[in-house]
Amino acid sequence: MSAIGRAAAPPSSTQRATPTRSARAAGRRARSAHRTKTAIGTSVAALAAIYVLAPIYWLIVASSKNTGQLFNSQTFLPASHLSWAENFKLLFTVDGGYFKYWLLNSIIYAVLTATLATAVSTLCGYALAKYRFRGRRVVFGMVVGSLLVPSTALVVPLFLLEHDFGFINTYQGVILPLLVYPFGVYLMSLFAADAVPDSLVDAARVDGSGEFRAFWKISRPLLMPGMVTLFLLTFIGTWNNYFLPLVLLGSTTRFPLTVGLSAWASELNLAGAGQPLYPEVILGSVVSVLPMLILFPFLQKYIARGLTFGAIVGE
Amino acid sequence: MQLSEQSELASTVIQPETATRGRWSVRRPTSPSQAGWAMTSPFLILYLLFFLAPFIYSIVLSLRSPRTGGFVGLFNYGNVVGNGEYWSAVVRMAYFGVIQVTAMIVIAIGLALLLDSPYCRGKKFFALAYFFPYAVPGIIAAVMWAFLLEPDLDNALEVPHLLGIASGPLNPLSFRFVLYALMLIVTWEWAGYNMTILLTSLTSVPREILESGRIDGASELALAWRIKLPMVRRTVAFITVISIIGTLQLFNEPMILNDIASIGSTYTPNEFIYNTAFTFGNEQLAAAQSVVLALITVAATAAFYGIMRRRFDMFGAVRGGRR
Repeated sequence: MSAIGRAAAPPSSTQRATPTRSARAAGRRARSAHRTKTAIGTSVAALAAIYVLAPIYWLIVASSKNTGQLFNSQTFLPASHLSWAENFKLLFTVDGGYFKYWLLNSIIYAVLTATLATAVSTLCGYALAKYRFRGRRVVFGMVVGSLLVPSTALVVPLFLLEHDFGFINTYQGVILPLLVYPFGVYLMSLFAADAVPDSLVDAARVDGSGEFRAFWKISRPLLMPGMVTLFLLTFIGTWNNYFLPLVLLGSTTRFPLTVGLSAWASELNLAGAGQPLYPEVILGSVVSVLPMLILFPFLQKYIARGLTFGAIVGE
Repeated sequence: MQLSEQSELASTVIQPETATRGRWSVRRPTSPSQAGWAMTSPFLILYLLFFLAPFIYSIVLSLRSPRTGGFVGLFNYGNVVGNGEYWSAVVRMAYFGVIQVTAMIVIAIGLALLLDSPYCRGKKFFALAYFFPYAVPGIIAAVMWAFLLEPDLDNALEVPHLLGIASGPLNPLSFRFVLYALMLIVTWEWAGYNMTILLTSLTSVPREILESGRIDGASELALAWRIKLPMVRRTVAFITVISIIGTLQLFNEPMILNDIASIGSTYTPNEFIYNTAFTFGNEQLAAAQSVVLALITVAATAAFYGIMRRRFDMFGAVRGGRR
């Protein structure tokens, strides 16, 4: 920032070379113009940040209110009496206590999918980048081609196929389709081509280690940063997924948070169907966002790098 | 020995799955080709079962009769073409896309250039804040916004009424405005994601070029417009394409808005397909509808690329420059 900032005000450097009065005045003017522009720029950025953060702020404030407070207190201010404790208790007990299953399921789906998808995509991407085997081009073409297929177009036939396999309403039914992550394979092949020098793998071969040993001992450590990125992308993707589990799951105890909370939300405007679960939906949303909210500052650079790597090289 | 190894190799190639459990391949010398297949096979098997099979199945299914299950050619497609409600959902999303995608990409470009300029403080914080909605599930984003746009819950919506500008509290979720409310939500979710991709891409613009521009007296605005933006135009094209695809697939957010504001369960094409398959149980027609939607998506993407290529020489010049 400071380096760019200084470079942007060239008069200040000419000032040092010829310290005349007019040059000094010009330097002052440029600096004050720079300050004005920075104030404007920062204000615009701040406005955009308010648009982004205000709803999150509201969500957290609203999660401290009970139904009455939600409808009768200032929207963006906490109510006089915080109802977090009772909301938490309700969240885990109301409607048969399903919420704890949803939370647990979301963790199971996301951890298993992210772990396995990272393993599968890394192996495949590495092989595509480092081995010249027959059929390699076909596989690579398939991977790139499937990036263009809108995956939601596959959900209906997937439902029917899984119905035949008996996979409906099972964990594997949700996890297995999510392991097919062509973008991850593509990302990993780019990353491996970049991060693992052929000479290193060749050296391992000369030393007599087999291909898999060479992969595990030599290449895997070098691929680690890419694998972290891939893990995070698939974890967030699975945690946030809604359409696929909605279609493939029927029993409430198998739902992830997204499907469960949307089921609660769908009952909000049904008049007379018991007490609407406003505070529970809101607090449930906080719970499902909170882990990310806390971890995000640490993860941001890994995630952004992966997305951008694919985008820039990937056109 | 030689021969048996050969046959083992052959069987590995034909049935790649056997190689994955073969620890023995660590001890015996493995050919690179064998290792290549062994490493790709877990993905390939999953790909065949959960990607290619449904893909082909949806095409086969779309050619079958909903009633008898027999082959009926393009009957279902005729039904799709003649279905006004399906096309009104498609047209609604096209309208949505033209406004929302344009606005969002402009916002993303503007914020990325701002954070890449010397005229902003706290860049790290802003970059983090803008990207954050990526970690919020679409469902949660929709619930959150639906509550915020609901006059009963959000008393900020009464401000124009109290100031005498409006006759009653604003209701962005009324049928007339809900499409724009949806735009607001989707922009909230994805503008920062697109900005992040652009911002990282902008860091690859060589600093020497910008430096020499500054020495020649170019303003920061001129640098942004004439040097930075042209150099990341491929990234702009990329994020626009993913946004177009995303728009045509919109599902989660309108589903939630329907729960809270009753906008109908066939508001977008994807909802329409879901409804056909799971409310009416007409999987054959739903398959045809999804094939048509996929074709529309491909056509929209191709049209966008075509316009970009003609107008801005979006690819030729840059590709020539890079290699």
